[in-house]
Amino acid sequence: MQPARRWVAVSIAALCGVAALTAVLVSAASAEPSGQSAKGGTYRVGWESSFGFTNNFDPTGEYLANAFAINTNLLLRGLIGYNHVEGPAGAIVVPDLATSVPKPTNGGKRYTFKLKNGIKFGPPVNREITSKDVKYALERMARPKNGAQYAFYLSGVIKGWEAYSKGEAKSISGIRTPSAKTVVFDLTAPTGDFLLRLGMPATFPMPEEVAKCFEGKPGEYGRYVIASGPYMIEGSDNLDISSCKTLKPISGFDGQTKLTLVRNPNYNPKTDSPKARENNPDRFEFIVNSNLEDIYAKVGAGELEDEYATASPKVFREYSTSPSKRKYLHSNWADGDYYITMNLTQPPFDDVHVRKAMNWIIDRSALTKAWGGAVSGVVAQHIIPDTMLGGRLTNYRPFKTPGDRGSLAKAKAEMAKSKYATSGGVCTDKACKGVLLITDVRSVDKLLLPQVQSDAGKIGITFTVRSVNGAYPVIQTTSKNIPISTRPRWFKDYADPSTFIDPLFKGSSIIPSGNTNYALVGLKPSQVKALGIKGNVTNVPSIDKQADACAKLIGNARLNCYAKLDKTLTETIVPWVPYMSAKTVTIIGPKVTKWNFDQNAAFTALAHVAVSK
Amino acid sequence: MVLYIVRRTLWAVLVILIVLLLTYAVFYLMPAGDPALRFAGKSPTPESIALIRHRLGLDQPWYTQYGKFVKNFFTGDEYGWPGLGYSYVNGVPVLDQVKERTPRTLLLIAGAATIWLVVGVSIGVLSAVKRRTFADRAAMGFVLFGISAPVFWLGLMALFIFWNKLHWTGGTGYVPITENPTGFFSHMILPWTVLALLFAAIYTRMTRNTLLETLGEDYIRTARAKGLSERTVIVHHALRASLIPIVTMFGMDVALLVGGAIITESVFNIQGLGWLAITGTLNQDLPTVLGVVMLGAVAVVIMNLFVDIAYAFLDPRVRYA
Repeated sequence: MQPARRWVAVSIAALCGVAALTAVLVSAASAEPSGQSAKGGTYRVGWESSFGFTNNFDPTGEYLANAFAINTNLLLRGLIGYNHVEGPAGAIVVPDLATSVPKPTNGGKRYTFKLKNGIKFGPPVNREITSKDVKYALERMARPKNGAQYAFYLSGVIKGWEAYSKGEAKSISGIRTPSAKTVVFDLTAPTGDFLLRLGMPATFPMPEEVAKCFEGKPGEYGRYVIASGPYMIEGSDNLDISSCKTLKPISGFDGQTKLTLVRNPNYNPKTDSPKARENNPDRFEFIVNSNLEDIYAKVGAGELEDEYATASPKVFREYSTSPSKRKYLHSNWADGDYYITMNLTQPPFDDVHVRKAMNWIIDRSALTKAWGGAVSGVVAQHIIPDTMLGGRLTNYRPFKTPGDRGSLAKAKAEMAKSKYATSGGVCTDKACKGVLLITDVRSVDKLLLPQVQSDAGKIGITFTVRSVNGAYPVIQTTSKNIPISTRPRWFKDYADPSTFIDPLFKGSSIIPSGNTNYALVGLKPSQVKALGIKGNVTNVPSIDKQADACAKLIGNARLNCYAKLDKTLTETIVPWVPYMSAKTVTIIGPKVTKWNFDQNAAFTALAHVAVSK
Repeated sequence: MVLYIVRRTLWAVLVILIVLLLTYAVFYLMPAGDPALRFAGKSPTPESIALIRHRLGLDQPWYTQYGKFVKNFFTGDEYGWPGLGYSYVNGVPVLDQVKERTPRTLLLIAGAATIWLVVGVSIGVLSAVKRRTFADRAAMGFVLFGISAPVFWLGLMALFIFWNKLHWTGGTGYVPITENPTGFFSHMILPWTVLALLFAAIYTRMTRNTLLETLGEDYIRTARAKGLSERTVIVHHALRASLIPIVTMFGMDVALLVGGAIITESVFNIQGLGWLAITGTLNQDLPTVLGVVMLGAVAVVIMNLFVDIAYAFLDPRVRYA
């Protein structure tokens, strides 16, 4: 999912000099995850600047974390879902529309779902949800003109997806609907995380009678989303679906300033589990506010219950130092990493010893503090967040140094092994001088950059820095051959390590524009020309085979496999300097009587909140 | 007069086209990368990026896109007239966005303009008439404060004092007058006052200076020599002539605020046209930016026209051939 903007905010906390307090704060924050359930009231969330939806809230293409949270907690139901709680329990799939979570058959290649009876779409569709609605949503994803941004998770996985996508077949052969309440998926190969892939809102059933009106208009269905969950967009019942021409946007979502949800009269709680959804408030209001200070003033004054914004130093100080306010500050694992990426084809990072030396010399502690310290995350030493590997690599610290401040001696020793000219472990080669580094123009970049420059300088690497407003398009274009960047961060799409491995390190994920495999791990000589890559392109290491092997596994074997792969990446290939495992910071208002964190969406568990009237 | 208006209107159209062309150029020259990447997701394929570029029309030359926009503007598009296109960032037609935001901005400007005009001209006249008195000094102090205090600071202070501490006014946000007239005034009184303060200060200074200059003219002496009352001399003779630069400035100020009251709109969370423009720019939402720029350009041109016509009524010496 798109990383939340609030991370930018956390950097400011460092300026407050409250690093010591944050440790206290973290423990205090996680101490009050529950509370009193009470039905009724309105839960209001202040949203900074603009909604920032990636596909205007159309589930087919939407991947903003908050939109995931709203869709899965409140508005939509899928075949499977989550209990919307914090920690590992929040990443376990549970049946939602389906009667049970199926076990794969046919050698791990077939999944058969039975749908519950009595679950209807919200007004004005008002009819029972069938297996054909599931198939319609998935085929809508497969048609490229609909802008499904997560179609790649199913393309090549479900049989016949690609043929349908190319227009070579009339339907996806791997999705069958033998009855109105049965849907069968046939896969091309065993895919251990297939159920998790079905947990994304794009796969949730969609009524064709409405969605067909927006065929080839990505995002436009976002203002007409028909509910299948406990809440609907306010005004849905006034939607005239007699024809596409009579459709007018639902009044509760204007796409710009407000999104209001009210109870869906067709929702039957008997078809759902209270462990997954309690549905306490009568109403949810997501309100865009252009004044950041005002959002927190209103949260503090009880005029808002929650926020999706960038807290100022004053706000952090206020909530971290006041004993009466600490309970309103929450800090939870976001299942994401912040890292420095190094391009395996560009000198001097085409030498693994230089990359290792960088891992030894970088002061991870200082970089984490730049983001705000313990409240915003902890020092990371490897690729996949510990939370996603079931704690298997919690104590794995291959570049461990006292206080995580880096080690000049070890860095020099490593640099001395490189092919580049060195003197006393300091690179003297011209390849180490004036290396192009891309960073952004956020306030935190001004804190990160001097630290990285200073650390790398100790082993003879100097940078030519380019600060770009919105640096991603630059580093995501392979022909720019960017050697190093401090900009990247990555958050899971769903709770499986493959969402870190496949897009970030598989050779097949390297594309000319929009590339996220910045390090170019797995680059093949045949790709070089088309990608415009100039540099050392011989013998670039690959993890493709290991990744493919892990992808077929399930359960503990799967996690063990990815843990091993993580070690290979971290110690043998060394494409990154991972420095922080991120947390999500949330400040809630005094009227909130129950709050929890949804680990899957990395946002407030809206399905479980309660508010005093 | 009619010929004059026709000529000015044609010039206005040309100005608008040039403004749009420049806006297009700025967006195409911006080194922020391919806007299509924004919509392509975390792990896009070259095919999906190409599709998005095609959908946004980014695969066409800029002049083709510009031509299409101009044509749609005059003839309308599938979302209505004038055709302003579709905001892919907000997922709504730009025309809908403009319709939603325009009342907010216009009501903000109308209220503020009324305050600054009444306050600024009144204090300016008082200051000129009571020159070198305590009232004059106090008025100049007001001017100094009004010009020196930044709008964002004034706004935050006003909110802190009158909403947060005293609870005299509503907080931030916009309440439509049709839904709740009391709430509307309660929420708008602070932004009106804050926005008006800077302008009132400038208008006070401007009125004082022009009035003092006019009061020194021969025809004012003649009017006094004829035995007219001081009130008649000031109101009917001096002030009328002094208003010409004020009217010029007023027209331009109001027009510029159509897309330019960004700080006031953000501090008070009004989210009018200025805020729409700034978020559109930050999000590389070219259709939205063009829509607001178009509206701003039209506002400037129309206000200029009004100002020119107003001259004729204020100053009998001004006539149009």
